[in-house]
Amino acid sequence: MTLHIVNKSPYSSRALADCFASFADGDALLLIEDGVYALTGFIADNIAVAPVYCLEADVRARGLQMPKGIQSLDDTGWVKLCTEHNPIVSWFQ
Amino acid sequence: MKFSLAVYAAPHSSQSAASALRFARTLLEQGHQLYRVFFYCDGVHNGSAIAAPPQDEANLVGQWQALQKQYSLDLVICIAAAQRRGVLNRREAERLERPAANLAEGFELAGLGQLADAVANSDRLVTFGN
Amino acid sequence: MAIKTLAICRRAPYGSALAREGLEAVLAGAAMEQAIDVLFMRDGVFQLMEAQAPDNIEQKNLWRNLQALPMFGVETLYVCESSLTERGIKLDRSRPAGSEIKLIADTGTFIAAYDHVLSF
Repeated sequence: MTLHIVNKSPYSSRALADCFASFADGDALLLIEDGVYALTGFIADNIAVAPVYCLEADVRARGLQMPKGIQSLDDTGWVKLCTEHNPIVSWFQ
Repeated sequence: MKFSLAVYAAPHSSQSAASALRFARTLLEQGHQLYRVFFYCDGVHNGSAIAAPPQDEANLVGQWQALQKQYSLDLVICIAAAQRRGVLNRREAERLERPAANLAEGFELAGLGQLADAVANSDRLVTFGN
Repeated sequence: MAIKTLAICRRAPYGSALAREGLEAVLAGAAMEQAIDVLFMRDGVFQLMEAQAPDNIEQKNLWRNLQALPMFGVETLYVCESSLTERGIKLDRSRPAGSEIKLIADTGTFIAAYDHVLSF
């Protein structure tokens, strides 16, 4: 099933909303770069899909708390997640 | 597993090109294959030899080149996108009568068919855009 | 089995180069007889406005690229239904000659059926 990768903040981009609208059963979501800002505030409580992963390096780089209930991945885990899903859809705008 | 990457993002403008490099390095370290990296749209700037970032910042072009050397990677820059944006090898610079060539060593200019070929020959395609 | 590729086009034309460069990549794939489909989503549906006339903004008309799609065997253009509704546009007559438009309601299931996805 599809792996969706989102790299934009949900506060400034439609990327995450569009990803939600195209999320099917069995898909997974990975937040990278500014996409990890979805782990803050109102959005964090309203992520309607599962499972959700985030890149630990991007979370730490931005001074955010590691979120509960969301799996953080190192770069090795990122590659592994990509081997487990197909296709891989990047939402970057 | 055989990966290909499509990189649309310029270096030093967004994080995306740096993410692509990290992902490429990690997958190679994990023993996966990188069939091709295809640089398209603003991503063609990753192959500019004349980029000169300050010494205390990551030099993405240099890091791609080092990775290319280590693993004999196929780093392909879309020729049409590169001509528009000013990334030329010597032959193209002469043909188009431009005053300089700036394609970095380790990168190649080729057509969009190389993206289609990468798609056809890879288990996974990951896009890095901005 | 042939590898199936989907190009998701989410950018409006002219404001960004990605709309044009996306279609060029699709045409290149189709020219190599790759099984490639196109899904227009969000602002990407604006690419399908037939009356576009960009002469005075010094850009080439994207409609010409769209018209080339069926010539290279991309005859069905998939369009996200809710993206049209959200923008209040209808594509009753507007379509490149030789192509048909299919509206997709469940884009998630649609996307999951492909081997590779190119995002533009």
